[in-house]
Amino acid sequence: MGLMDQVEMPQPVKFILNWGRRYSLWVMNFGLACCAIELIATSTSKHDFIRLGVIPFAHGPRQADLLVVAGTLTDKMAPALKRVYDQIPDPKYVISFGSCSNCGGPYWDSYSVTKGVDQIVPVDVYVPGCPPRPEALLHGIIKLQEKIGQEDIREKWSGKLTQPQPSSAY
Amino acid sequence: MASSPSRSPLRPTEIFQRLRAQFGDDILATEEVHGHAVVNVRPGRYQELAAFLRDDPALDFDFFDFLTGVDYQPKGRGFEVVTHLYSNRRNHHVRLKVACEAENPRCPTLSGVWNGANWCERETAELFGIEFEGHPHLVKLVLPEQFEGHPLRKDFILMTREAKPWPGGVEGAEEEVAE
Repeated sequence: MGLMDQVEMPQPVKFILNWGRRYSLWVMNFGLACCAIELIATSTSKHDFIRLGVIPFAHGPRQADLLVVAGTLTDKMAPALKRVYDQIPDPKYVISFGSCSNCGGPYWDSYSVTKGVDQIVPVDVYVPGCPPRPEALLHGIIKLQEKIGQEDIREKWSGKLTQPQPSSAY
Repeated sequence: MASSPSRSPLRPTEIFQRLRAQFGDDILATEEVHGHAVVNVRPGRYQELAAFLRDDPALDFDFFDFLTGVDYQPKGRGFEVVTHLYSNRRNHHVRLKVACEAENPRCPTLSGVWNGANWCERETAELFGIEFEGHPHLVKLVLPEQFEGHPLRKDFILMTREAKPWPGGVEGAEEEVAE
């Protein structure tokens, strides 16, 4: 990234860059099950996550900043998720929305369900619920924005954060 | 108006009569369940019976509804393939049942009679490990290609449950207590 990854930015510059990034999150809809309905409901006028600067929906992963995995990821679908994630340009963020994508949820003992999308992609924020209400996603987005506000862009662009980091050794 | 063929549904007993008249002892058992005819058939005449159900003007089963398997392993009965058929023109149902042996289960294919059977049989083949003889393309449909085993068999081991036992009541345990 040139200058960005070579020198430590002064604090005001970091603040401005993070501030700009946290309020313009084009969201990629990776809806897999009933949670996708809640995600879409959050994008519409009543809950309206556009007021938080989350813009629905990116036309493809190459235009997206934020990936919301909403629903049950199966082992057969997992390569597609990885591929979508890899196509999103840095810096990119992932919200795991709902119990299924967090840990398998009600399918914890299934033969076909991936027990947690954090095995496939690195997750920034987990939103619990089955399915979570739109308010829960709004809360998750605010948590993500707080995280982006504290972020070190050198670390973010180092490539180290794009590997999956499972939260639990299941 | 020209006389059109009858559109009223046949009662299950009428379906059984027609099938017995045509297939005799190869109809192993018949049963009426929820107003549907259920027919156990010998595997050797399964395809022939299916074609008869489709082509006979009084039966007229034009719609292949679904096909699946049943695992009776703990009871020592092997597997069973269940096929549900429906007639759009007459509004009556029939279920066909074919028994398969426990070791190396095999069943004739219906994909030559109804195209709809093709994917149902592929799914049943991968989930129960039943081989459909004569199927044109019996490869995995919904499971990942590298998947090993047949997950809907009762002896399929769920690795997660090996690591952490089922936290609730075991299926069937409550009935035993009640008895």
